[in-house]
Parts: sequence; C-alpha cells; structure tokens
Amino acid sequence: MAWTRARRRWAWALALVLAAFALAVPLTIARRQEPTPRGTPVNVLLEDFKVRPDAAVVPAGTVSLRIRNQGPTTHEFILVRTDLAPDKLTLQDDGLTVDEEADGIDLVDEAGGLDIDDRQTLVLDLAAGNYVMYCNLEGHYLGGMHAELTAR
Amino acid sequence: MRSSPPAEAGAASATQRTAAGGRSGIGRLVPRLPILGDLRLGRRLGWVIPVLIVLVAAIVGYNARAIDQQRGSALIVNTAARQRAFVERYTTDVLLVVDGFQADPEESAEDVREPVDVLLDGGSVRAPQGGGQRVEIPPASDRRVRLKLEQDRRLIDELIRTGDRLMDGGRRDPQYEANVTRLRVLSAQLSSVSNDAAREVTQVTEASLSRLVRIEIALGLLGVLAALALGLLLRRAGAEQAAQFRSLVNNSSDLITVLAPDGTIAYQSPSVQRLLGRRPADLVGTALGDLVHPDDRRDVSVSLTEVVEAASGATANFGCRLQHSDGSWRHVESICTNLADDPRVHGLVLNIRDVTEQAALRRSIGDLLHNLARRSQGLVDRQLELIDELERHEVDPDRLQELFRMDHLATRMRRNVENLIVLSGVDQRRRWSESVPLRDVVEAAVAEVEEYSRVQVVGIHDLTLAGQAASDVAHLLAELVENATSFSSPTTMVEVSGSPTGNGYVLEIEDHGIGMSDAELAEANRRLAAPLAADVAVSRMMGFHVVGRLAARHGIRVQLRPCWFGGVAALVLLPAVLVGSAGEHPAMAPPVPAGVMVSPEPLLLANTTQPGWQPRAHLPLRRHGAPAPNRDGDTDAAAEAGEPVE
Repeated sequence: MAWTRARRRWAWALALVLAAFALAVPLTIARRQEPTPRGTPVNVLLEDFKVRPDAAVVPAGTVSLRIRNQGPTTHEFILVRTDLAPDKLTLQDDGLTVDEEADGIDLVDEAGGLDIDDRQTLVLDLAAGNYVMYCNLEGHYLGGMHAELTAR
Repeated sequence: MRSSPPAEAGAASATQRTAAGGRSGIGRLVPRLPILGDLRLGRRLGWVIPVLIVLVAAIVGYNARAIDQQRGSALIVNTAARQRAFVERYTTDVLLVVDGFQADPEESAEDVREPVDVLLDGGSVRAPQGGGQRVEIPPASDRRVRLKLEQDRRLIDELIRTGDRLMDGGRRDPQYEANVTRLRVLSAQLSSVSNDAAREVTQVTEASLSRLVRIEIALGLLGVLAALALGLLLRRAGAEQAAQFRSLVNNSSDLITVLAPDGTIAYQSPSVQRLLGRRPADLVGTALGDLVHPDDRRDVSVSLTEVVEAASGATANFGCRLQHSDGSWRHVESICTNLADDPRVHGLVLNIRDVTEQAALRRSIGDLLHNLARRSQGLVDRQLELIDELERHEVDPDRLQELFRMDHLATRMRRNVENLIVLSGVDQRRRWSESVPLRDVVEAAVAEVEEYSRVQVVGIHDLTLAGQAASDVAHLLAELVENATSFSSPTTMVEVSGSPTGNGYVLEIEDHGIGMSDAELAEANRRLAAPLAADVAVSRMMGFHVVGRLAARHGIRVQLRPCWFGGVAALVLLPAVLVGSAGEHPAMAPPVPAGVMVSPEPLLLANTTQPGWQPRAHLPLRRHGAPAPNRDGDTDAAAEAGEPVE
C-alpha cells in the first residue's frame, strides 16, 4: 500500500512520541531508585522531636545511614563521636543548641535542611566507638531529638 | 410635454450589501475591527486574533495571580516573623506574672494564636503596615506549609498549657524549673517551626512565581509569534490588495488622473498609453489644459473651479476632447472628485472615460436626424408657400378659414421638424445679423401656436433682441406658449408678459391649467437646465429638451414654477447681452455655453427694422412666406433641394 504524505507525517509523529517515552521512562525510574547501600545500612527517621534509628549498634566500618525526615517540620541530622550521654552534650550560651565545637565531641558528618519527606544517605566509615545523632535546630535537641549509635 | 419624471432605480446594489457577508464566526468579526481598516482578511486571520486575545488574557491573568501570590507571601512571612515576637512576649509575660508583676499573658496568648489560626484557616489579620488595618489571608494550600503550621499550632497549645501550669504553681511548684525550661524550649521550637513555615511559604511562592514567569515568558513568545504572524498576514493582505488595486488601475480602460492644486498632473494611470498614446511619466508635471481642446478649455476650467471651491469630496461631471499623440482628438467624459483635503491624495481625482465612439455614433445619428428633418422642412416650406398662395387668391371666407387651419397645421409640422433639427445637435444657424424688436419676436412665437386667440401678450417693453438669437427665442417661446395652451382649459387665457431685471429681461408665460406636481416641476426644470443627448427619454419630453437646448445656445435661463392661482408660469430670462433698448444695437455676443452665467452689460443700440421680421397685419402670422435671411443666404434653397444646410 502506497503511503500518502499525510500518513507518513503521522507515522513520524508517532515514532517521535514513542521515542520520547522510551527515553523518559528509564530516566524517571533511575531517578527514583536509591543508590545501593554500601556497608551496613541503618535507617534513621527524623520527626518532631525524635531521632529513630532502626539499629543502635553497628559493626565498625562502612555504614550507610539512610536518613528520612518524616516531618512535620524541617530538621537537620548531625552525627558526632563522643563519649558523652546523648542528652548531656554541651550547649551553647543561648542554652538552646548544642555547641558543636565544644570539647568532648567530634563532628563526623551532617545533613542539613532536610524538609518533610526528604531523604539522604550518608556513607560513613565509622571507627569503633560511641556516636550521638541529633538535630541542632533551636529547641529540637532540648525537645528530645537525639539518639545514640555505637560502632563495634 | 408635461409628464411624470421617469422612475429612477435608486436601490443599492445587493452585491454591495452582501459583499462582507457569507462569513461565519470570526470571519464575520474580523473585517469590522477598525485596526484592520478596509482589508478583507477573511478566515486566514481568524485564528490569529483569538489566539492573541487568549494569550493577552492569560498573561494578564497570570500576572494578577503572581502579584496576588507575592502579596500573600509577604503577609505570611511577616505574620510568621511577628509570631516569634509574640511568643517571646508571652513567655516574658508568664514569667512576670509568676514573679508577681503586672502582665497580660492571656492577651499575648491570643496574639500568638491568631496568626497561625488565620494562616491555616484563612481570615483577616492585622496588616503589616499597622495603622489598625486588617488584611484578608486565604488559607494555606500547600501540604508542607499546612503540616508545619499545624505543628506550630500544637506547639502553641503546649506552650500555653505550660505557661498556665507555671502561673498556677508559681515558684513553689516543684516542677517550676522544669516548666520554665520547657517554656523556653517550646518557645525556641516555636520560633524554629515558625521560621521553617515562613521559609517554606517563601520557597513555595518563589517556585510558583518562577513557574508563572516561565509560563509568562512562553506566553509572551507565543504572543510575539502570533503578532508576527498577524503582521505578516496583514502585510500580505495589504500587498494583495495593493496589487489588486494596481491591476485594476493599470488594466482599466478608464484614466485615473490626479491633479495637483496648481493644475498640473501629479499622477497618471498607465492606461493613458492606450487612450492617448502617451507615457504616464511624460504627462506628470504637465498642465491638463495642454491636452484639452481649445474650445473645451473654458468648460473644463469652469467645472474644475467649481469642484475646487466646493467642499471636500464634491464631484463634478464634464466632457471634453483630449489630444492623442497622433494629433487626433478623443472625446472623453470625466468625473472629478475633490480630494484636496485627503493627505494621501492632496488633489483632484479625475476618472476619465473614452466616449469617442459614442460621440461619433451620436454625431452620426444627429446627422441622420438632421438630414431627414431638413428634407421634411423643405417640403413643409413648399407646402406653406402653396397654402399662402391659395390664401392670397381665395375670396370665399369659409374656404379661407379652412386654408388658415391648414396653414396652422403645416406651421406646427414645420416646428416639429425644426425640433428634430435642434435635437440632432446641428446648429441650424438661421440668424439675423441685426437686432429685431422683442415684441415682434414674441408675437411671431404666438402666431405659431394653433390656439393663438387664447394668448394675450401684455407689457412687453420696447426693446430689441440680438438678431443671432431671434429665431431660437421665437422657437423657444412658441414651444412654451403651445405647452401652456395645450395643458390649460380652452376657456382660459394664456398670458405672455415681460419685465426687466438687473441682468436682463424676463418673459413670463402663465397659464391657468391643471398645473404640475412638485416632482414633475423638478424633473422638467432639470431637463431645461441640462438637456440630454437625443435618446428615448428625450422623445418623451421633446419640448423641454428643445427649449433647454435652444436656451443653452444663448445663455438663456428657463424655469417653470407653479402659479399661486393654479397653472404653471414659465420664466425665460434673456441675458443683458441679447437685449437692447429700441434704437440701440445689442452686443453681438457669441452664443453662450449652457450653464454659464452672463454678467449684466449695458443695453446697446438696436436697429428694429430688419427684413424677415415683418409680422403680418392679420392672423395667422407665419414666417415661411419670406426666406429667412442668413449669412449664407441660400439656406432655404438648399433645404428645398433636400440637402443638409449648415
């Protein structure tokens, strides 16, 4: 059957649409997929005003902290190595936030500005020791937003 | 001679009415847009205009939405910022009350609650600019913003409960320290959450604004494309129309000529090459008068002057002869329109049509008519001579009376023949070189009418009429007098009187007949003022046309008007150049073209004793007995021989 010019034009348009779909779908799927965790995975949920890791003790070495803020407000995640108790960290002069440069705590890593439903994965090489996870926004730490993690 | 004016078709052309019709929807609307002028753009532009309208409306709508969002965002951020101050004030008030000082934490609590409630549920809140004004805030719609505000409200509730516990327990409460700390922590958390909510609102607004800006840019680009398309289509439509117009002008058989105010040709359409064998470029800058026949220049000049002096848009028709490059003359008719005030033209526009063939045909018909009429005239003259001879020798009164009747009928026949000669357009030129008494001319005219006995000539002044006009005036008056006797009762009289005026002499022929309607009078006066070429209409109203033509030869004005006692009065204004007092010679002025006003001139001496103008002592009077003298002197001999005489 001989193709008319109009029919050829429609065929080209259909082919272009299909090609666009074929390109867009894999990209979308790839974007939604999270990277494969390395080391020991630890899921950490942030919420008002709590930090909830699904494990309190992990093997020393590579650890993937998969952080997710469940809201209902913005939070940040800070991991420090310290031997202090989670609720005994040194506060700044305002008495509302942790002094991250105080003696006895070493900043390991942090993830700031996590809005509701935001996710972030921190892949860390943790030496054996005690660690504290907390949110250092005003009043959040004092509100109880901290948790302990131990690497052995 | 009196008849109803022919009905003229005045209905507008149906095609004109429906020229813009036959379209639907936008196609019908487009040509009415004033910005598009006369361009007939049709459906090709139909899609562009609604697209432009939609785009402009969308841009305006999005702008309004963006402005509204910016305003709402500013209010929300300001409200959130104030909340921190309200929370601090509430905390301070609580602590002051606990320490025994005067404060109003309840009011502060309300201040803390209100912004969050309004932001969540919508409502009015104190305006940031103060002054007691309140502004309406719509409820927040973004999910994250609402989550944060709801958390804010929960914290406020807990803050107020903590404050209440503090105020209830006072310093003696074992939980005092814990409550104070809790109050401070909640206050800090509230500040944090409020700031977070404000930041979220700002982000949402920025994202929304950014989206709106992108949409607006896209709409703007589409608008630019649509405007470009509209411009291109307009340009194409304009070019097509210009090409159509150019083609019409170039291929038209008519000439389009634009005359500059100084009378030179400013534009000449290419069709002049076909008509006059001249190149348009050669004519531009030359005077139109150089092309016009010398005999026609005066008429053309008069017509153009009238149009120039009339209002803008006035038109005038005139005919003339234009010279071909080979030296021949082309007869043309022109419609001249004054567009001097139109900045696009700034001159007179002449639409000139070649009527040489029609003129030749008309001349040919006229010559034919003239030749036939002259043959009949010769025979009638011979018949009248014979009757005259019989009358001289007849002694029986009854037979003489019958001969007189025959004489009258033959005289009428001769005038009819002369009418044909007049209508043929050939100037008979049977003229006397010397002036004749005006009264004799009037009486000779009356003598040509069958019912002469009903005509009363009164008050004709002792004046003379220029010889070259005498024959035509007598003919003219005879037609009018016969018309008066024919259309009035046989028992009534027709009165012919005269009176001098500032610019000549007026003869008045009054009848007491059935009269004429206003429309009939207007039509008759129009025929008298502008006699047409010989055609069917002329044959229906031959008398008026003959009178009009004869009058036009000598600048005589003839007008009909109703008499207050019934009937019609015909006024004949003889210009001063034709009239002289007895014993003086009136000026031997050349025939005056039709429609040209003759300026009053002093009456001159006239010789009233001329051959050929000897009215009979008895009735009926006739002029056929003696050959009319003319310059050539052989007129009747030629007519008798059946040959055309010039």
